Amino acid sequence: MVIRFALAKGRVAKKAIELLTELGYVFDDYSEKSRKLIFTDTTGTIEFFLVKSPDVPTYVEKGAADIGIVGKDVLLEHPAQVYELLNLNIGRCKMCVAGYEDRPLPYGKKMVVGTKYPLIAKTYFNAKNQLVDIIKINGSVELAPIIGLSDCIVDIVESGNTLRENGLSVLEEICDISSCLIVNQVSLKTKRELIDPIIQEFKTQL
Amino acid sequence: MLLNYTIDGFENIQHQDYYSLQKIINKLTTLYRLYGYHQISTPTFETYDLYVHEDSIPCDDLFKLVNHQGKVLVLKPDATLPVTRMAAMNHPNPDEIIKFSYQTNIYRNFSSPEMIKKEITQIGIEYFGNDTPECDGEVIGLAILSLLEIGIKDVHIDLGHVGFINYLFEELTLSSFERETLFQYIENKNIGDIACFVKPLNLSTAAKEMIAKLPTLYGEPKTVLKEMKAFCLNGKMEGVVEKISEIYCHLEVMGLAEYVSFDLGFTNQMNYYSDINFKGYINNWGEPVISGGRYNNLSEKFGIPRPACGFAIDLIKVIDYMEQENLLPVDTQSRHAIFYDDDDKAMAYTIANDLRTKNEISEVFMIKTDWGFHVQSLRENPLYKNAIIYFLSKGKLCIVEGDQYLSLKSNEIKREVD
Repeated sequence: MVIRFALAKGRVAKKAIELLTELGYVFDDYSEKSRKLIFTDTTGTIEFFLVKSPDVPTYVEKGAADIGIVGKDVLLEHPAQVYELLNLNIGRCKMCVAGYEDRPLPYGKKMVVGTKYPLIAKTYFNAKNQLVDIIKINGSVELAPIIGLSDCIVDIVESGNTLRENGLSVLEEICDISSCLIVNQVSLKTKRELIDPIIQEFKTQL
Repeated sequence: MLLNYTIDGFENIQHQDYYSLQKIINKLTTLYRLYGYHQISTPTFETYDLYVHEDSIPCDDLFKLVNHQGKVLVLKPDATLPVTRMAAMNHPNPDEIIKFSYQTNIYRNFSSPEMIKKEITQIGIEYFGNDTPECDGEVIGLAILSLLEIGIKDVHIDLGHVGFINYLFEELTLSSFERETLFQYIENKNIGDIACFVKPLNLSTAAKEMIAKLPTLYGEPKTVLKEMKAFCLNGKMEGVVEKISEIYCHLEVMGLAEYVSFDLGFTNQMNYYSDINFKGYINNWGEPVISGGRYNNLSEKFGIPRPACGFAIDLIKVIDYMEQENLLPVDTQSRHAIFYDDDDKAMAYTIANDLRTKNEISEVFMIKTDWGFHVQSLRENPLYKNAIIYFLSKGKLCIVEGDQYLSLKSNEIKREVD
């Protein structure tokens, strides 16, 4: 039996593969430029594939992958029936509301929010009894307040450089984000002998 | 082209699958009958009032409609509630033993993801009026036997008890928000977030550690039982340990203990279970196929306090798994297709009827064109894959073998069939 990992393409996958290598798994057929879709370690006990981050919870929920490594932001935006076993020390950042420092958020009035994360934004503002118009934007979210499309944005902030360069700043912090190790609810039980040691190894890395 | 005529989340069952589905339903109904369960059926529509106060099913997940009197109806979103009501209405004596089985479709208007099945085909049992571990054992045992009976071997039952966490939380002073958040984290085994969440709470270090460990209380029954004992803060929690160890003993006697593992991280968020609850898994299939448990407080809604325990199997998930593993019962019965000339119609119908009395599938068609054309079009039709083709002309019967027509006496068909 093989344990199958679904990794979110990009930074998270790079760190996760480094972590797996540190734990002693060797993927000799993997290189960043490889066009292969699925990689197996030399002992044949684990394999991984790279997918777009919002697909990771789907693969794990359906059992196509036993374990997934994906940002908490994705899990909050695309809730899935999975076990969120560990918060890993990779991809640490914050989910924030950002806008112009000298323009307070129009609480109590109509507020327009530009974001890649409509669910997170809506849940956050609704919990504060603020109704919002959400505009879903797929990239370069910082642009929205600059050109007057929205009053503020909800996005992930790591260093804050992009915000600063565009004259924006963090107005409110929503929550901490890191990568999570998620496990299929059935695999955790039926493949326990294989999955438990892997989880323990990940824990020692924390 | 068909786009406007299909709805996401609903699908046809093709004839091959329907055959398998019926075979499986027959096997399971027979199994439940042999254990004394009476099969019943409840209406497809229910009143909205029945579900509106039921926390287990979010109101947004109900398909609602309004009847001509202005009453709001819903498509049955669950089988247990109507069956419980039926038991309460027809059997007012709460101590009576009532064993019901059912096979039904239920409907949930899940908002996301778009393609998720909204029509769920279930088969299940409900056992009323018995609150003993033997009853729980029988229900869990039947859940296992159901899958074994239809040829699935890699069966796992994950058994938990919602009381264990509830009784533990009774000892802790938490707001209902804190409690619900922690329940959700425990249900998702979200160990990382539990640690962060309990840190600022006004609880003893021992309690915090205990909460963080709750999600890890799963696995091999005997080990888990030992670990559970260390958690017991009150008599009620000890009672839970005792109860599930008794159920486990019962399953050992039934010879089914090897299929069972424990998970004490199940909570009663989003369900009506008051006691034990369990899920059934099949190896290498990512989603649970069985869900069940004890719901001793549900019948009170209908005026009859009565303990009950039951489970439901998601048949379409089971069939999808069996198809992937080539375990589905396949329709192998051959069928007879008799083509006749107009003059031989009476004889064709007699032959076909004779075959039917012997449980042979037989169909008759009038010859309209060239024989070869009829043979070819039937052979190309996947519905007639195993058909035996005959031609009846001028009182003579021929059977088609390859591209030859061999003449046959009508009594020879019968002999072949016999």
